Amino acid sequence: MTVLHPAAERYLNIPGSLIAWILLILALSVFSFSLYRRVLLLLSGQPDPRWGDWKERVRGLLVYGILQKRQPRYFWAGLIHLLIFWGFVVLGLRSLDLIGQGLGGGYALPFLRGGFGVFYGSLKDLFELTVLGACIWAILRRAMIRPARYELENGRGHRWEAYLVLSLIGFLMLTDMFYEGGMLLLSPPAPGWLPAAGLAVSVLSSLDETGVSNVSLLAYWAHYLAFFIFLNFLPLAKHFHILTALPNIYFRKLKKGSLKPVRWGVENLEDLESLGVGRLEDFTWKHLLDLFTCTECGRCSDHCPAKAVGRPLSPKMITLKLRDYVYRKVPVFSLFPWRSDSGGSEGRKEKEGSEAALIGEVITFAEIWSCTTCGACEEECPVFIEYLDKLIDMRRHLIETAQNPKTFNPILTQVEKTGNPFGKPPKKRADWIKEIAEVPVRILKEGDEAEVLYFVDSYASYDPRVQAVALAVVRGLSLAEVDFGILGAREKDSGHQVRRLGEEGLFQLLLEENLEVLQSCRFNQIVTTDPHTFNTLKNDYPGDLPVVHYTQFFRDLLASGRLKPKKIIDGPPIYAYHDPCYLGRHNGIYEAPREILDRLPGVKWVEMARCRDRSFCCGGGDVNLWHEIEGETMRPAARRLEMAREAGVGGIVTACPFCLLNLEDAVKTAGLEKEMKVVDLMELLVSTL
Amino acid sequence: MNIIVCVKRVPFTQEVDLEIEAGKREVDRESLAYVVNDWDNYAIEEAVRLKEQGEGTVTAITLGPEEDEEVLRRCLAMGADRARRIDPGERTLDGQGVARVLARGLAGIPFDLILCGVQAEDDNQGMVGIMMAEHLGLAHAVVVTGIEPQEGKLIVQCELEGGLDERSKIKLPALLTIQTGINEPRYVSIMGIKKAAKKPLEVIPLADLNLSPDDLAPQVLIEELFLPPETGGAEMITGDPAQAAEKILQILKEKGVRA
Repeated sequence: MTVLHPAAERYLNIPGSLIAWILLILALSVFSFSLYRRVLLLLSGQPDPRWGDWKERVRGLLVYGILQKRQPRYFWAGLIHLLIFWGFVVLGLRSLDLIGQGLGGGYALPFLRGGFGVFYGSLKDLFELTVLGACIWAILRRAMIRPARYELENGRGHRWEAYLVLSLIGFLMLTDMFYEGGMLLLSPPAPGWLPAAGLAVSVLSSLDETGVSNVSLLAYWAHYLAFFIFLNFLPLAKHFHILTALPNIYFRKLKKGSLKPVRWGVENLEDLESLGVGRLEDFTWKHLLDLFTCTECGRCSDHCPAKAVGRPLSPKMITLKLRDYVYRKVPVFSLFPWRSDSGGSEGRKEKEGSEAALIGEVITFAEIWSCTTCGACEEECPVFIEYLDKLIDMRRHLIETAQNPKTFNPILTQVEKTGNPFGKPPKKRADWIKEIAEVPVRILKEGDEAEVLYFVDSYASYDPRVQAVALAVVRGLSLAEVDFGILGAREKDSGHQVRRLGEEGLFQLLLEENLEVLQSCRFNQIVTTDPHTFNTLKNDYPGDLPVVHYTQFFRDLLASGRLKPKKIIDGPPIYAYHDPCYLGRHNGIYEAPREILDRLPGVKWVEMARCRDRSFCCGGGDVNLWHEIEGETMRPAARRLEMAREAGVGGIVTACPFCLLNLEDAVKTAGLEKEMKVVDLMELLVSTL
Repeated sequence: MNIIVCVKRVPFTQEVDLEIEAGKREVDRESLAYVVNDWDNYAIEEAVRLKEQGEGTVTAITLGPEEDEEVLRRCLAMGADRARRIDPGERTLDGQGVARVLARGLAGIPFDLILCGVQAEDDNQGMVGIMMAEHLGLAHAVVVTGIEPQEGKLIVQCELEGGLDERSKIKLPALLTIQTGINEPRYVSIMGIKKAAKKPLEVIPLADLNLSPDDLAPQVLIEELFLPPETGGAEMITGDPAQAAEKILQILKEKGVRA
């Protein structure tokens, strides 16, 4: 029996290749239409300049997209995904080959015929088996281990979609194996080692020729169909990430720690009708692309400190609820609406005909205020979805429409009127220096000059506990004979909290006033007490201010020998170092504080299980201070205290005033003052000088 | 319902070590921050809420120099439709003078209701609202903690002493002095205030009101302004928590804070 390629056969007198062409055109038409509908959504978004820094973006694409650097943070799931992903990359050529064969009536692509063809044949077979194995493993893992992060918060998992796609991929592998295996049996053996096809051969060898031929034919067309069905399924749900993940990674946010402006390209906020995100059209195109790209992996929510303590926030659900909302507003098929439904009443409401409000109903106020802006979600996300900018944009909307918690009102008014959240008089901002009358502290007036400007900020200036840290900084600077000064009453709050609460107008006011004061003096470096101050001066303020956090500055002083620890700190406790979010995750400063600790004689310290970029947020230094979130079972700092106790330590050392206050508060609330000491790194450092 | 709200800009004195000027008649205002009078903030919020329930306009008025326009802008940002500032020029006025000026100064603005704060945070005299009502011949109620609009009249809830409240009907037009806590005032963002710059704010010089020097002459003269002497007077409650709680409850009862 002559062996014809399935596309060369005739079916009801219609040539196979014609069928192949018809299917191709049909599938691509539907696919193009779906893509067009999705692109329409993107075009309705606000501008977002992501075109610069192409070198860094390409580097990111290679590291995070191709090499999938973030995947192994969850090891086994990461491994499975790596295998399937690289399988897709390698097998892409095979798919093109098979389609090409169909269209051309049986001829393989030219460059797949020679030696490369033999090599590629083996490679693709190897990957087919790997991918098949990975899919089976993934299915079993989902079904048996049921990792909690895959669930949707309302209890309805999209597990069926995951199983469907995994099965579909497995099916694609199997059909290719049986098609090729069948052809191998029927025609002269192909050169090279084909393990996948070989497996199929061993299954098929029990059939007669007609049987093998039928299986082979069936397998080919099943594969062809399945491929195009899969392709068209992609834009409808979470597997759209197969197409959008690489672009999303390429266009990722490069400047960590900063917040997007209210609207890119708009200098004067008064020109804007509204501030923040209140409607779909207020999102930028990149944020909409984020929504297309969520894979529902749940790694973000798994690391969210707000979620961990019972607050209603789940970063994954924010993305998915927004995705479902925009897909409902601009569906692909309105006649046959695809209900990509993450459940919940909004979907139901819209089925009933009424509009669910984007802010307030789809995304609730409690979710919006639950976030501590710690950045753990963005650190985990393998496809670089952005959460913080979206949530802050929603806060901006709430502030402008006066829907914020009333407890913020006096705080914000006080920041505006007195330059600090306490409402204490600016005249008293530098009163803390009286505590160390023996150390002269220069207050820089207009025109003054100093080597270092110490930007104390509000908490270190006015809060008694944090003043101790400022005093330690000043002592350290003085012992190292650094020429430094502070701004005193002219200094205003840096505005970090204000900006992250969503009061952009007030932030801009503080920024302008502080910049004017900074420009009135001359200095080579700014040193801050607080990582938040450091973050905002470095990433939010314009002008490339030469700012460092005190850990960086003092690490350098110790390394160069300008400061030499003399006293040995003997005996207990053993400390655990707690990475502050705005020092570590947002700004990558992990080593400086650790190097300082290593240089302090006698100090014993350990890492907690969740450290560095997986450090657990203490609750933060803004909303956490002024608003209770309903549903919270414990304060994040209390949870962090538990982690310290699990590490078996008797002390926590940190480098942020809010971590200090929150953790000390947690210790007091738990009645553990005798068992757990909380200190700031600067205090520890000074005690050795 | 058209509403006029009288607002005052006062110093923010929290944690400030107030100093008396050399002349001993005035507080040293250098380096003080200024805010809207707390009672007036509740009043403007109440006015805007009443407007949002039905129809009408809200006008905010103040008596003061140019710096006081900041407070009017804030009222506009909260939802007032227009604002008016009466400029006193070089004149200093006492409470009854302010009442006369405001009563004359709101001429031309149609109103059904005037809201004032019970008192101002700086001098705490609590007289302007009632005196205005008298000059304008309006029915009035004071220390109002609740307003329910009905056809042509209002049901008002007023705070009395000893924890008692009073509910009355009051015919419009009327003047009410508003107590703190009647509502929760909304936040006004910086951008909100900037946008409110588009709303009308007119300035009327005091001279235009044609009040005689007698009308305006202060009837109360401050002889001396002084800080109260520091004394003791804190009672330390001893005993274990249960005993201390008992004692505190007793004191609260004696002072009439609770029944």
